Amino acid sequence: MVFGNVHAVRAASFDLPRGRFLTILGPSGSGKTTLLRMIAGFDRPTGGEIFINGEPVNAVPPHRRAIGMVFQKLALFPHMTAAENVAFPLKMRRHDARLIPQKVERYLDLVRLGGYGGRRINELSGGQQQRVAIARALVFEPDLLLLDEPLAALDRKLREEMQLEFRRIQKELGVTTINVTHDQREALVVSDEIIVMDGGTIQQKARPVDAYRAPSNAFVANFIGVTNFIAGRVTEVAAPRVAFEANGVPLAGLSADAALVAGMPCAGALRAEQVRIAAGNGRLDGLETVVDGHVVDCIFEGERVVYEIRVPALADTLMRVFDHDPESHLQFGPGDAVRLGWNARDMHVFQK
Amino acid sequence: MRTPRAAYPLTWRVMDGLERIAAALWPASFQRGLPYLMLMPAVVLVGLLVLGLFQIGDTSLRTLDTNTFLMSEDYTLANYRRVLTENFFATVAGRSLMGAVIVTAVTLLFAFPYAYLMVRTSSPALRKFLLVALFLPFFIGQVVRAYGWLIILGNQGMVNEALGLVGVPPMRLLYNYPAVLFGLVQYMLPFAVLMLAPALTAIPGELEAAAASLGAGWVRTFRHVVLPLSRPGLIGAGLVVVTLSLTDFAIPAILGGGTQDFIANAIYDQFFRTSDQGLGATLSLMLVAVGSIVVGLVFLLFGAGTLAMAEARK
Repeated sequence: MVFGNVHAVRAASFDLPRGRFLTILGPSGSGKTTLLRMIAGFDRPTGGEIFINGEPVNAVPPHRRAIGMVFQKLALFPHMTAAENVAFPLKMRRHDARLIPQKVERYLDLVRLGGYGGRRINELSGGQQQRVAIARALVFEPDLLLLDEPLAALDRKLREEMQLEFRRIQKELGVTTINVTHDQREALVVSDEIIVMDGGTIQQKARPVDAYRAPSNAFVANFIGVTNFIAGRVTEVAAPRVAFEANGVPLAGLSADAALVAGMPCAGALRAEQVRIAAGNGRLDGLETVVDGHVVDCIFEGERVVYEIRVPALADTLMRVFDHDPESHLQFGPGDAVRLGWNARDMHVFQK
Repeated sequence: MRTPRAAYPLTWRVMDGLERIAAALWPASFQRGLPYLMLMPAVVLVGLLVLGLFQIGDTSLRTLDTNTFLMSEDYTLANYRRVLTENFFATVAGRSLMGAVIVTAVTLLFAFPYAYLMVRTSSPALRKFLLVALFLPFFIGQVVRAYGWLIILGNQGMVNEALGLVGVPPMRLLYNYPAVLFGLVQYMLPFAVLMLAPALTAIPGELEAAAASLGAGWVRTFRHVVLPLSRPGLIGAGLVVVTLSLTDFAIPAILGGGTQDFIANAIYDQFFRTSDQGLGATLSLMLVAVGSIVVGLVFLLFGAGTLAMAEARK
């Protein structure tokens, strides 16, 4: 898809088996919404073809595609009641008029809005409006459900509740779903599968746990989770193990990249939760790599403490480390000398 | 160290000074009266108009003595009787009302697609063109435009010349009812578009996309989503066009050539041709009454809220 001379979506081929919940995850401007709009039929791809149920649909206008969509701003019809909103697609798709009321009822029950059908849209809370939008997108039993960041505007508590709700409804109906979001937590929570997009190109397609544990490149490693990057140079490759040195310190990690050879500049990615922290003269048993540093900042986030630690041996790299143990919370303050340790299997090495 | 005050831009300090002066002249305890004070100019203007209305009301109850050309000393309802019974006035009123209704319907029909395209187009160049084309007639003025139509539609005008080239004999295109309605529609179109555009802007484009994804083609999207949601704009634009057409003077006078008088023309004749101020005043009051009834009916049918002024919809 090209807008002017900007390629919004370049390389985005993927297929999705029936009944799966796929999330397209990416920063704003990564092309994920354009991709969704092309699937819905609002924008026509300048190249390539989209198939639904094996049928090419590029020439099919949106209202002839069997796709339910929940919009970013919900796009509920303000001049209709909740029930009229849900009945709208049934009327437009010429369903049997006698069956419409009970069908509307059933789907309002499904989204736990039984009894709210007579309310006008502006009489419903944000969460209830979400539910009406979901019911409206699902009531005509579409082949595909598209979610265009509908949860982005909700507060965190409601958002997390609605994520589980999406998951429940999707499992209950078994409808194939494509969700678009920039919220990595949402992607991990709701999806069977994640596509990470950047610059109009798919960076990785994987199950949530694999995208998190085995990112395919530095972008994915950086976008999902809190990741420390240590710049260095490859010294030896014995796939999947890669040895590299950073500022003279020998380090090691894993890599799936066959193009990596000795002498190449590289970056080692290490999750903040994979790093153990101990006092300056403390012991870190069973960890392959141990470095010394001092605390620059410590941030209390409730369920965890995030330490920012400067490591002189690694050219003053600033590393972020989580401490989830409530017993040891906040035992170090700024300026304290600490020792960090990790295992080579948790370090993912990428080309730089 | 410099004082922090020196770091503020000059304009801030000027504004601070102005605010201090204002505070001295207008203590905070007067604050509550401020909105009413700002209302004063409008109240004075409208108040003067009401005084004028009373004056007209007084005049309408006096008849013209054709011997002395003076207004009668005592009050009589003779003028009202004439207006309500004489065929001429019924014809003029009927022509005006019918004209206003037709002009409004046609204008809204034409204005809606124009406003819709102007609001929804993704091309900024097209939007600018439509906007400029909309405002251009305002710079020309109603009378000049009406004379323009005389040149175009006259017996030796452009249209008849063009028709003559293909062998059609010259037609009388002017000084008839359709010519007046045509001129009025052309005059009212910009007003209607300007009233409709904000109402259409207020309808999120996403709603139309949603309707499409839910299975509605553009016709049914228009009928079930766009049209109901643009009702406030349509009613507002309709009211403006109806009242302006009903009370218009120049277009019926120029394009009607004296044969297609509207109420305003009849009033003008009474004041400035026959000098019967009493009858003119009566006709004026009748016009005010008819206009008020039309607006009142619309409010009654659709509610004042539909004008999007009374209550801002959530």
